[in-house]
Amino acid sequence: MEYQEYIIAAYAVFAIVLGWDFVAGRLQIRRELRLARSRAARSAARSQTSELSR
Amino acid sequence: MHPLVRWFHTLGSPPYFDRFAARWAPWGYGLGLLVMAWGLYSALFLVPADYQQKDSFRILYIHVPSAWMSLAVFALMALYAAIALVWRIKLCEILAMACAPIGAGFTVITLATGSIWGKPMWGTWWDWDPRLTTELILLFLYLGVIGLYNAIDDRRAAARAAALLAVVGVALLPVIRYSVVWWNSLHQGQTISLLGKSSMDASMMAPLIWMIVGTKLWFIGALLTRARADNLRREQGKAWVAELAGAATGGAK
Amino acid sequence: MSARQRNPGLAAATPGLIGSARALMARDLRLLWRRRGDALQPALFALLVVVLFALALGGEKQALSRVSGGVLWLSALLAGLLALDTLFRGDAEDGSLEQWLLAPVPLGWLVAVRTFMHWATTALPLLIATPFLGELLYLPREQLPVLLASLALGTPLLSLLGAVVAALTVGMRRSGILVALLALPLYVPVLVFGAGSVARSAQGLDPVGALLLLAAGLVVAALLAPLAAAAAIRIALN
Repeated sequence: MEYQEYIIAAYAVFAIVLGWDFVAGRLQIRRELRLARSRAARSAARSQTSELSR
Repeated sequence: MHPLVRWFHTLGSPPYFDRFAARWAPWGYGLGLLVMAWGLYSALFLVPADYQQKDSFRILYIHVPSAWMSLAVFALMALYAAIALVWRIKLCEILAMACAPIGAGFTVITLATGSIWGKPMWGTWWDWDPRLTTELILLFLYLGVIGLYNAIDDRRAAARAAALLAVVGVALLPVIRYSVVWWNSLHQGQTISLLGKSSMDASMMAPLIWMIVGTKLWFIGALLTRARADNLRREQGKAWVAELAGAATGGAK
Repeated sequence: MSARQRNPGLAAATPGLIGSARALMARDLRLLWRRRGDALQPALFALLVVVLFALALGGEKQALSRVSGGVLWLSALLAGLLALDTLFRGDAEDGSLEQWLLAPVPLGWLVAVRTFMHWATTALPLLIATPFLGELLYLPREQLPVLLASLALGTPLLSLLGAVVAALTVGMRRSGILVALLALPLYVPVLVFGAGSVARSAQGLDPVGALLLLAAGLVVAALLAPLAAAAAIRIALN
């Protein structure tokens, strides 16, 4: 196929950008869930330690 | 109340939207991937080579759908933005902001593939032809929306400011396009457009149609995914997010 | 019946459109007078840009003369971009902007008046300096009228579009590159038709079409840009 390198380069750009978009989206969701988990853990720990006991 | 309107209202509830997006995003990605795979396969191996441009014209099957997507996504983003500004619907704010990085990605693909295609055709990696120049400015508009959204701390104010920018941008886009075309004719006379004078033969159309459909399906998946992430970010601290995160401790989703 | 008609005593106290405009203009002129040097900064920046271009391109008459129209347009645009920071910053920092929100006149009107004053104080010195800067770049004499006309139409247009960008980023501390990024796509048509009109006259073609487009754009922007900027200010301050 003529101009093979150019075709490969173009198709590679396509795959890379869409692939990056896919990964970035998934990473964002995972990050938000991770933040939520640590936030919940922190507030659970806080409510435990603030309990007064005689 | 009409069931469609009611469904639209329920979609505005953050936990419901999260479930909706989590359910349908994989379909968008999956179907989009299948359709694009078929489109690219037929673009590479089934379609005969062009008479003038030989095989390099196969890049068209990526360049043109990406260019259309870059413009369509901007229009959609502006539509969501306008609704968000006028009716203050939070979901539309989220959807508008989610469009921006995806549209920017398609714009980058358009510019890169346009440049790569241009090298064997024009002999240079870049040509200030009206289409590519407008795409470059479109990229700056996208980056501006993304940058503005990230620069303000309050998510709602940030989304509304970026939404206003998107609406202003879409209103000016035809003016920008016209001015670039005028500028090009002023300084360079007639440029050889990438597609050349030959209109597309019917046998060459099919992969293009597949790619146009495929990119749209993929976009739905990507939009739902990024919207879901933004939704989760805005709802941080709410009980349902903590529950969801706790439930997800076992497997990553 | 407006509040002023219902209560005649209020008419004296509440300014109308003209009254508020006059007050705002007087205040701006007074502030400007106290910092006279600031008014010359855009012109000075344009001079710097011109000098840098001449140094970078080699001071040869032929080469500079060919690009002089475009470089002068660019220096005006960049100077305006730099001056944009002062459009709302002072008012945002001392709380006047929030007072504007409460004013009895439309916010868009106040924005329009402020933008006009800002243009008058930053761009007019620039326009006056242009013939001198043109000499530095060997601008052909025949192109000077077109250049001045295009700048006279283009700089207010840049100020109006810039006001929208400044309103979107008002209150941001490190807005720097973001302002330039946001402004660039909006400035492109103005730059194209402005510098393009000079290029057309250089080629011997009629520049009036491009100048008319600039004028039309100016009229539309004068109506719509203050509204958009007002909306942006409301978003930023709420």
